[in-house]
Amino acid sequence: MKYYEFGDKTGRYVGRTEKYDVYTSTLTEADKEENDNEEKTQGEIYFNYGPSAGGLRESVNFQILTPGESIRDVIINSGFKNRNISIIGDSISDAMLKVERINGFHSASHSIAYALAVEDALNIENDDLNDARIVEIELERIRSNIDVIKGLCESAGFAVPEKQLLLLREEVARIISGAFAHRYYFSVNRINSIEGDFSRISLRTVEKQFRSIYEGLLSSKIFLDRIQENGIVLNPISTGPAARAGNFRYDARLDSKSLIYGKFNTVLEKDGDTFSRFLVRAEEIFESINIIESYGVKRIFRKNKMELSGSGDGTARIESPAGDLFYYVKIKEGKLADIQMSPPSYLNIRNFRSALRNKNIFTDFFFVWESFGIWISELEVKFQ
Amino acid sequence: MGELRHLDIGTGGEVSVNWFINGIRKRIQTEKLDQYRVMYPSVLEGMSDYNCPTEALRDGKWDMDKCIFCRQCDLDPTGNQDTYSVEKAIPNIFKKSLYLYPVDSGTCGACNVEFTTLFSPQYDSSRFKIFMANTPRHADALVVMGVHTEGMERVLQEAYDAMPEPKVVIGLGACALSGGIIGRGAMEKYDIHIAGCPPTPAAILKAIIEARDKK
Ligand code: SF4
Ligand code: SF4
Repeated sequence: MKYYEFGDKTGRYVGRTEKYDVYTSTLTEADKEENDNEEKTQGEIYFNYGPSAGGLRESVNFQILTPGESIRDVIINSGFKNRNISIIGDSISDAMLKVERINGFHSASHSIAYALAVEDALNIENDDLNDARIVEIELERIRSNIDVIKGLCESAGFAVPEKQLLLLREEVARIISGAFAHRYYFSVNRINSIEGDFSRISLRTVEKQFRSIYEGLLSSKIFLDRIQENGIVLNPISTGPAARAGNFRYDARLDSKSLIYGKFNTVLEKDGDTFSRFLVRAEEIFESINIIESYGVKRIFRKNKMELSGSGDGTARIESPAGDLFYYVKIKEGKLADIQMSPPSYLNIRNFRSALRNKNIFTDFFFVWESFGIWISELEVKFQ
Repeated sequence: MGELRHLDIGTGGEVSVNWFINGIRKRIQTEKLDQYRVMYPSVLEGMSDYNCPTEALRDGKWDMDKCIFCRQCDLDPTGNQDTYSVEKAIPNIFKKSLYLYPVDSGTCGACNVEFTTLFSPQYDSSRFKIFMANTPRHADALVVMGVHTEGMERVLQEAYDAMPEPKVVIGLGACALSGGIIGRGAMEKYDIHIAGCPPTPAAILKAIIEARDKK
């Protein structure tokens, strides 16, 4: 473990695995979580929404406490689709097939973070893959941010930009499949290897198309009115674009050594509302394009069929599209003895709840939900 | 305001975009279903005695429904997106409109995203008279995605029961069909099997169209 140790809380809090609370460079035993549900008072009802309903992409249930129009609290039951993944005892390469399916939409982030943790555990030299891995993650971030903004347009009933962003999301999926032969990076990242042709990544038209949609949205008073001053969260315990939208300079690209980034601009906003999260996601698309272009990775990478064995424990923390993603692995003779993962959705779903409790009305619900880019898939996995 | 801004924010005072005109200007972006191809997933060919992690290879035979297209065996991808099979034709009554209701039983999220891509300008499922229903009561076909999970078992059954007769059940992706690499399949039987991890939008549409044309 080059970058982490077990011990006292140090640095900022980045999330929780099944066993540990994760800080920027230490792991501690996980604290118990208090139940802080609001008491239902006379005249209030719980409005039940989900787990399966039109408008919800994944299965999740919300119980919205309301006296009528305003939202006082929301109890989130995300456990319906909990998957038990049998992975302990797998060889470290076989386990990758499961890891990349924890969150398929952010599979590059998960598979690279896992590979980095294994490489840390087994002291495998990986510097030559640093830049290519960054390119993959930034490309994934572009697609993910487009998707979040598409969700906001959908919630606002803005069908034209919504469809244009769907078109663009598909364009990016095709750029990914052109380079990696798969639209979600499955079977692309391996321990100490990548399979892909980076010369096929060109983002010029994506940038142009996105700029025109973004310009349109910024000039749409109705759209801006809907997303301003709602879903406010200014919480020092936050991650990713949601933290940066509240002026917290939190970014694993700045404070983790698992991947070494060159210079780039951190996008910060001050108000912590849905609009700020929209701005951060949009501006980060341009920044990710700049990062990808600055590396100029154009080579073909081929799978390396090296036999892996050894023992040790290792960690990795990277900035996935929604924030800090952390992996811990314990390896015994080439097999996984333990795996712990903290996804950004852990903090984001909690901050989504605080954001909603902060003077919102029913119609704000979807904007606020979409603006956090939460994935239940990565939140509800149990490793066995 | 933030430190970095690629565009200035409109005050609303200037002329804002007319999205209707903007949409028309971009012209029709819809494509033929074979226009774009991807290698994984696509129909695999050849022989392999590799010890497949999902048992999709047995006695020299390839079982598409179990395959997660992991590229580890010696089978070769053809680029052909017909990764589906139709067990039962879609009833004639749905020729002019077919409403799909998706249920996420336990997915990684990628099948969900591919499903929503059916409604993108490139695929525009409405030209094939395929639409999305917001409730199972208005649905003609249930689209099941993801592995079996304890929490979703009852929800899935309730969605199925709530649909009016006749109803069609579509299994979308390796997880729903066989459990893939993650668990076990979400349902016992499907009328339409769409393999892939995840299946491509073209494969999903082609499967439904073929099932509708089948006598
Ligand atoms: S590509 Fe399919 S058949 Fe081949 S090993 Fe992987 S899962 Fe098995
Ligand atoms: S079939 Fe593949 S893409 Fe679909 S939910 Fe399962 S793991 Fe994800």
